[in-house]
Amino acid sequence: MDPVTLAVVRGALEQIADEMDLHLIRAALSPIISETNDCAHGLYDPVTGETIAQGGYGLPMFLANMQFTVQRLIPIANEAGGFREGDIWICNDPYLSGTHLNDVVLVSPYFVDGKLFALFANTGHWMDMGGSAPGGWVPTAREIHQEGIIIPPLRLYENGKRNDALVAMITANVRLPQQLLGDLAAMTNVFAVGRRGLDALVARYGVGTLRACIDEMLRRSEAEMRSYIAEIPDGTYRIEDYFDNDGVDDVRLTVTLAITVSGSELQFDFTGTSPASRGPMNISDATTRSLCFVALKHIFPDVPVNGGAFRPTQFTIPQGCILSAAYPSAVGGTTDVTQRVVDVVFGALAQAIPAQTPAAPFGTTGVATVSGRHPQTGQYFVAVYPYPGGYGASAASDGLVNGTPPGSMAKFMSVEMSEHRYPVRFRYFGIREGSGGAGRHRGGCGTRYGIETLSDTLVSILGDRVDHAPFGVEGGGPAAPNSVQIETGGRRWIPPMRSKAEKLPFAPGDAFHLASPGGGGFGDPLDRDPALVEADLNGGMIDMATAESVHGVVATVVRTILDRPVYRVERDRTQERRSAIASTLDPIT
Amino acid sequence: MGGIVGIDVGGTFTDLFYSSDGIRVDAVLKVPSTPDDPSRGLIDALQAAGIAPSALDVILHGTTIATNAVIERRGARCALITTQGFRDVLELGRRDRQRMYGMTGVQQPLIPREMRWEVEERLDHTGQVLVPLDETHLRALATALAAEEIEAVVVSFLHAYANSSHEQRAREILREANPDWEIVISSDVVREYYEFERTSTAAVQGYLQPLVSRYARNLTRKLEELGFDRQTLVMQSNGGLVPLAQLPGRAANIVRSGPAAGVMAAARLAADAGFDHVITGDMGGTSYDVAVVVKGTPRIAETTELDFRIPLRLPMIDVHTIGAGGGSIAYIDRGGTLQVGPRSAGAVPGPICFGRGGTSPTVTDANAVLGRINADQPIGMKHLARLDVAAARAAMAALGAPLGLGIEETAEAILTIVNHVMARRTRLMTVEQGHDPRDFALVVFGGAGPLHGAAIMREVGIRTMLLPPHPGVLCALGCAVADIRYDLSRTVERPVLGQPEGLVRDILAGQHRDGEARMQATGTELEAIEVSHAAEMSYQGQIHTLRVPIEPSWTGAELISAFEAVYRQEYGNTLGSVPVVIVSLKTAVLGVRRKPVMSVLAAAADGAIAAPRARRPVHFGRWIDTPIYDRADLLPGMRFDGPAIVEQPDTTSVIEPGMTARIDRHANILIEVA
Repeated sequence: MDPVTLAVVRGALEQIADEMDLHLIRAALSPIISETNDCAHGLYDPVTGETIAQGGYGLPMFLANMQFTVQRLIPIANEAGGFREGDIWICNDPYLSGTHLNDVVLVSPYFVDGKLFALFANTGHWMDMGGSAPGGWVPTAREIHQEGIIIPPLRLYENGKRNDALVAMITANVRLPQQLLGDLAAMTNVFAVGRRGLDALVARYGVGTLRACIDEMLRRSEAEMRSYIAEIPDGTYRIEDYFDNDGVDDVRLTVTLAITVSGSELQFDFTGTSPASRGPMNISDATTRSLCFVALKHIFPDVPVNGGAFRPTQFTIPQGCILSAAYPSAVGGTTDVTQRVVDVVFGALAQAIPAQTPAAPFGTTGVATVSGRHPQTGQYFVAVYPYPGGYGASAASDGLVNGTPPGSMAKFMSVEMSEHRYPVRFRYFGIREGSGGAGRHRGGCGTRYGIETLSDTLVSILGDRVDHAPFGVEGGGPAAPNSVQIETGGRRWIPPMRSKAEKLPFAPGDAFHLASPGGGGFGDPLDRDPALVEADLNGGMIDMATAESVHGVVATVVRTILDRPVYRVERDRTQERRSAIASTLDPIT
Repeated sequence: MGGIVGIDVGGTFTDLFYSSDGIRVDAVLKVPSTPDDPSRGLIDALQAAGIAPSALDVILHGTTIATNAVIERRGARCALITTQGFRDVLELGRRDRQRMYGMTGVQQPLIPREMRWEVEERLDHTGQVLVPLDETHLRALATALAAEEIEAVVVSFLHAYANSSHEQRAREILREANPDWEIVISSDVVREYYEFERTSTAAVQGYLQPLVSRYARNLTRKLEELGFDRQTLVMQSNGGLVPLAQLPGRAANIVRSGPAAGVMAAARLAADAGFDHVITGDMGGTSYDVAVVVKGTPRIAETTELDFRIPLRLPMIDVHTIGAGGGSIAYIDRGGTLQVGPRSAGAVPGPICFGRGGTSPTVTDANAVLGRINADQPIGMKHLARLDVAAARAAMAALGAPLGLGIEETAEAILTIVNHVMARRTRLMTVEQGHDPRDFALVVFGGAGPLHGAAIMREVGIRTMLLPPHPGVLCALGCAVADIRYDLSRTVERPVLGQPEGLVRDILAGQHRDGEARMQATGTELEAIEVSHAAEMSYQGQIHTLRVPIEPSWTGAELISAFEAVYRQEYGNTLGSVPVVIVSLKTAVLGVRRKPVMSVLAAAADGAIAAPRARRPVHFGRWIDTPIYDRADLLPGMRFDGPAIVEQPDTTSVIEPGMTARIDRHANILIEVA
């Protein structure tokens, strides 16, 4: 294989997928696509379904999910007469295509001289798919039908002609049909962008060379992935973590993971994970697998994104557990369940390769939705506020504040824009002091915010991590757990399911108060640089009691600015105190 | 017209372009920059060129002092005062991370948390006061802060773009507490919503204002001492100039003024040569900057990320940077594939052939091995007389062996790959905006640009490439050809249909007046004032907006149809009956200066074949005995064919086999694929 042609073809294929991403992100109506990049685009092998290239702008969540979806669609299409020119398939069945009903997948076959060469596929998050709560986040859903309509794999376009009956069926069952049509048009148009790019490449290199390059690309990515796995010490690394509840029954749910490394092979075994929940805390196995790769890529960011990289891995995910949802399980909790998959992969691998692996991030997407009719326009609206939170600390650095979930790149809406568009008012939006896990490197703090509604609305909250905080690693402490408080009729209360509440009727002046978790700490807090402890004190990230008892520093207030104290950590006395603490902890002396 | 001088103060070098009569180019030179007091480097450059300041009409200059101060966190110690409950807006950003993959790293806010304060006050999105400003508390805070070592105070209140009265009152109170503070209020800097982006922009302004004020004072004093009493104009990142006296209030506007100047110069040279659709490519040691000029106008970005979580919401020329330069390192990845960059050998240790201890093969090493750069006359090297080609060859041999490639094959592979990376980015710049790259001319500059431009042009499918006479000092020239510019804007966020009668017209008229008033205040002699208006528009519900040129007199229907035309150009379709929203209204006021007419040289030798100074073997797929031209010998009207190498003191140009070159009336080399 000519190395230059290979490099150029690989770059060109990635560029096609990138251009498709950018096109949809800019053209979509759904703010979730255009502002939060909740979409993905790629090219897939028409026989194996393996990823040839996937765009670099779409969400990590879909990293491997797209491949698994395409792999399941291929036999379905084959039974229905196969992929034909001018076809576009549509599907949002989460047991098949992963994540949740709002992520709609389109697949368009690409032919060269009448022969199927590749499949283009994309996915985009549509704002509303019907169901019992706007936006699809139904914290008490007991079956998928409460979350919206299921579109089984069907030809949306046949022979280049759109099936308008199918479209009418869909739009009749959603709350924002006009927006949906805009997003559907935008997603369909993106395939033209992809085809143009691939046409040019086929014209330049011919099918034979392209095919050979693609095979070689996948082979090399596999080799690359194996080289990373081979550097992880052989062994089995276990971890268990828990969800608060499923929103329906107040019983904790267990996620159990054992990662076994042997040579250049990696096995993920989720045996022991709780059976399917009655509420919406379930995800499909395709999504579980995808999130394992997301975690790996956060640890090894240079691993290429194509089917070859997925080859040296194996999965055991017991059927009928919360990580392999089957009909009719509700799946709307995907935003939280997916985060926990990443957390446990970090937690397991931190035992094997602590120098590369971060502590647990905030771990809950805690989506709050506010919906109703806008008092000025009378129009229906759904405002979505997903949790930001702290990242886990690592050997390299403290944790970030106000991070986006590891499987996401989604941003938080601007406060001012929110107030323009929706009848809401933010009372505060700030760093949640003291919420980062202690350590040599401190976990990032969580975020706290309070939103008041100015008209009659319905508020739903779907989060987790109230009862089980994000963990630290290598001796680092846990972060502060999640906190949800509702303020209605002048009274503050905690919802019975603590992190989940559905369609609470809010009157003008009612509010909700959210405080997201921080990230776990990394390393022994007694090893934290006293200068950093001083900065944490002065920035208000920790309080004096924590500085003294957890970090073992001796600090004094040297003066105040208005009512704000200015601290100084005394290096010598801190050294003494830390030595004293160490000697009491050390069982040998 | 008297003399003009354009000066670009960069991080490493200060470049100068001088014309004694505004027509002829009399001097072009580089001197080392003086980061401790950048105004000294500028004076040094004037003196090195032997220019008497008293003979000058105008000094025009660009500078990276602002950019570097932000990136290296060397700005002023500031305090930030926000609405109660929103102290952390600056640090939180809007829920993101540095990279898509990788969970490490933190942000470093320009104003740390211990210097961020809150005061009771609140407006709603229409500008109505919900909570009055707590002046008593603010006064107490101001008094306390007056005892601190703080140079600037930034005030950013929620919805201040809709009503700036609280911010203005806060400024008065702060000024009473300490008249020496530089005080920045967010509504003065950006009159648009998005609290994080506006607060960040105001923080950048506050962070830079003391430094830039000092710089302006020093420079003014030094120029006065040298007897210069005319005007000094400074390049902003929107491609327009601003008088030195107004600089302190516009410190945030001069971030990245150098790259903007380069694009302005390239656009101007291309326009004079007859091209109004232009892609500009500036390649140096570590990066490749690419920008697009449509109908003579550089594309403007509304928001630019200066560093992680430091957005600047000011109109800036949209320059994209990728890590591809002469110092980019070639390596074989874990899968066995050859890759180039973005890691760079930098200035130290640099490429292997520079003999400063570099051990990783770079793009420059590949150019040396292939004979494309002259090993006997290293550009900009004082410490060595000859490039160490033997060492570079040995590194190529080692790199290529596992791939089964020979030395020259490896070097060619490196160039092919890096050229593709640049070509891809170049293509993306046009394609993502709905343009066909084949309709554009390519202007390449920077030290390494002319070595790679031919390959980029071939790869992207561009028909003509223009090599300016002095590619190494183009940014300095850019200052000399720019106009004075003010951008004004205001958030509207209303559907086009159903807004109050005359709203668009009234806002635009107000902005027009404000801009003209500022223009009058410059005291600059202008040939004309040009005003243009645009609206940021979107379909209702969309987050991304499009910039649509509009006229104040337009009806709602005209506004919508203009938006649809732009939307169709960008995305190939429209969204039918979805309502269209005006998000903000923008006005650009341009003060057109008298400028040097780019020297038009008589065709000295029409159609004459240029004569090379020498020949040497250069590798283009195989070793070819290639003519080497001296740029000084190339006169208007001359032609020659590739393969060819053109050498000049600031760069080396490659013309590939199968390409033809001719010299135009302005001494540009125009290259086409034969």
